[in-house]
Amino acid sequence: MKMTEIAIVGGGPAGLSAAVSAAASGARVTLIERDDHLGGQLKKQTHMFFGSKKQYASTRGVDIADILQEQLAKYKDRVEIMTDATVIGIYEDGILTIEQNNKYIKMQPQRIVVATGASEKFLTFPNNDMPGIYGAGAVQTLMNVYGVKPGNNVLMVGAGNIGLIVSYQLMQAGVTVKAIIDAAPRIGGYLVHASKIRRMGIPILTSHTVKYAHGKDSLEKVTICKLDEKFQPIPGTEQDIEADVMCISVGLSPLAELLWQIGCKMTFVPELGGHVPLRNGEMETSLKGIYIAGDVAGIEEASSAMVEGRLAGLCAAKGLGYEAENYEDLRKDCLEQLNSLRSGPVGEKILKGLSKVTA
Amino acid sequence: MLQNTGIPTKEDIAGVTPSLERRSKGPVAVIECYQKIPCNPCYTSCKFGAIKEFKDINDRPEVDFDKCTGCGQCVVNCPGLSIFIIDESYSDKEALVKIPYEFLPLPGEGSFVTALNREGEPVCRAKVVKIQNAKYQDRTPVVSLTVPKEYSMEVRFFNIEDYFSDNTYVCRCEELTMGELRDLIRMGYRSVDEIKRISRAGMGPCQGRTCRQLIMQELAKATNQDMKDMPMTTFRPPVKTIKLGALLGGDKDE
Ligand SMILES: Cc1cc2nc3c(=O)[nH]c(=O)nc-3n(C[C@H](O)[C@H](O)[C@H](O)COP(=O)(O)OP(=O)(O)OC[C@H]3O[C@@H](n4cnc5c(N)ncnc54)[C@H](O)[C@@H]3O)c2cc1C
Ligand code: SF4
Ligand code: SF4
Repeated sequence: MKMTEIAIVGGGPAGLSAAVSAAASGARVTLIERDDHLGGQLKKQTHMFFGSKKQYASTRGVDIADILQEQLAKYKDRVEIMTDATVIGIYEDGILTIEQNNKYIKMQPQRIVVATGASEKFLTFPNNDMPGIYGAGAVQTLMNVYGVKPGNNVLMVGAGNIGLIVSYQLMQAGVTVKAIIDAAPRIGGYLVHASKIRRMGIPILTSHTVKYAHGKDSLEKVTICKLDEKFQPIPGTEQDIEADVMCISVGLSPLAELLWQIGCKMTFVPELGGHVPLRNGEMETSLKGIYIAGDVAGIEEASSAMVEGRLAGLCAAKGLGYEAENYEDLRKDCLEQLNSLRSGPVGEKILKGLSKVTA
Repeated sequence: MLQNTGIPTKEDIAGVTPSLERRSKGPVAVIECYQKIPCNPCYTSCKFGAIKEFKDINDRPEVDFDKCTGCGQCVVNCPGLSIFIIDESYSDKEALVKIPYEFLPLPGEGSFVTALNREGEPVCRAKVVKIQNAKYQDRTPVVSLTVPKEYSMEVRFFNIEDYFSDNTYVCRCEELTMGELRDLIRMGYRSVDEIKRISRAGMGPCQGRTCRQLIMQELAKATNQDMKDMPMTTFRPPVKTIKLGALLGGDKDE
């Protein structure tokens, strides 16, 4: 059995930040990531991020991943990084089981930070299993990780930030985006993203949905239609869009299986994307010693995921007696950053969701 | 509406437009960021204090146009790519519009591109006069276009393909290109005859057989007229080019 002080599950912005602050406080940390590289979603984000300087605004996501890894490298002696390693279970006695290169590893940490991120939601419509229909994440991975063009003509479904950004990246890769559609009457993503895509001539059709996908062996055409205020299809508004790729980007839900397994108290909060764990102000769940950070705690942004990670790492370390020198200041700074990021109209929904899960 | 389509309304735009007086004085930032979002690099990157202090990270940027030097620092720091530099002092008729452009290939300096409006519709032909792509810009090149002044607050993107190609000849005999033709129309020449006199289009060997129709089409489009209402050119002999000597010789019987 492997031993460690703090096990961090997931090497995205939340997990990396948690590892940095826990190690900086003095704790021994093991960071476990199922991919062959760290960075999580950041690795695929070639665009500049929002936020403020403290969350590396104006820096491209992929570069933020490198910055966080450099910070972590300072504590090499205290940090173990396991890549290609998937945590497949967490048990009530606090034991983690890990699969790494076909090997089964057991680990006993004293504290656990779960930062597993999110999974993509999908849509139901006839023929939704046809080749050519992807989740936005898959399209991004193909394009930005493997350098493979997913197709030539894309219909993007979902006008949230992810749908808008992936459309922009597709255009950068030389793929034509025929249209972006969204069932909601309003664009969900940031309007600056929407405007920047619209001025490239890509129509954004709100109150529209997919009715049918057509094709022989793979996607050739999509019938879309308009929706009324009650989200009901309006007969006669059907139109066909020729596309060999349909990219579904209709939201994320927290990837919380491990938290269910171990028995954290969970509740369904639509504002946060689905079932999420209850937590206190230190990012600790209903189970002592089990912390959370990032999208698994509620779908938000990398900016807040990093701050939550910092906070969780700081508090988990303190729980083990590793109190950072300026612990109180650091903790307050995290809380202030989170408050400020969530203080505007975009944060209203998040705050409403958080009020249902924070003790 | 912006919320439904991504296209800002006239009122939205009016709210962020510097005065004509300011625009004619020299380069100035136009920030088209209309929504409160947690983002502030425009403010923190401006070294001239031209963007009002953000009390809250969700504040919308407000430019003090008198303090703004048009340096463009904010343009490359804005993750929304929603900042443009407008300079109407560029020349008598033309304004400079600086646009952040994260696409490859970059257009060549000196080449012509198709300027697009906020809906991605072609507006006019634009010349690429400069491309800035320094290290500090971190892979957000800024392309400077010259456009007719009246389009400075309309042009917000471009297509590298030159739809209104100057390279396309409208009149092959006298070498009038589509771009030159459009410039002439913009300058106020409104009939085929006027255009013929100023550019010689139609006065070459073919005597307008190629260009007449094309010029009329272009004029009809630019002035929103139907082809059938367009005035025809005046036809005078000779219908083909002939040697002056042939005329001087006169008719045998004369
Ligand atoms: C297209 C797109 C654009 C975005 N743009 C922005 C933006 O501009 N600004 C912004 O702030 N945010 C942006 N985001 C959001 C941001 O990327 C996420 O909010 C952020 O990555 C969440 O961080 P995380 O660490 O919680 O999760 P992730 O980044 O998803 O990381 C989770 C990690 O955990 C690993 N993992 C999961 N399960 C296991 C397991 N069982 N064992 C081991 N490892 C596991 C995963 O492989 C992954 O690496 C964007 C997201 C997308 C998809
Ligand atoms: S152009 Fe320069 S001076 Fe003007 S607001 Fe932007 S950074 Fe400030
Ligand atoms: S940096 Fe750009 S997107 Fe961010 S607030 Fe300023 S103008 Fe808006």
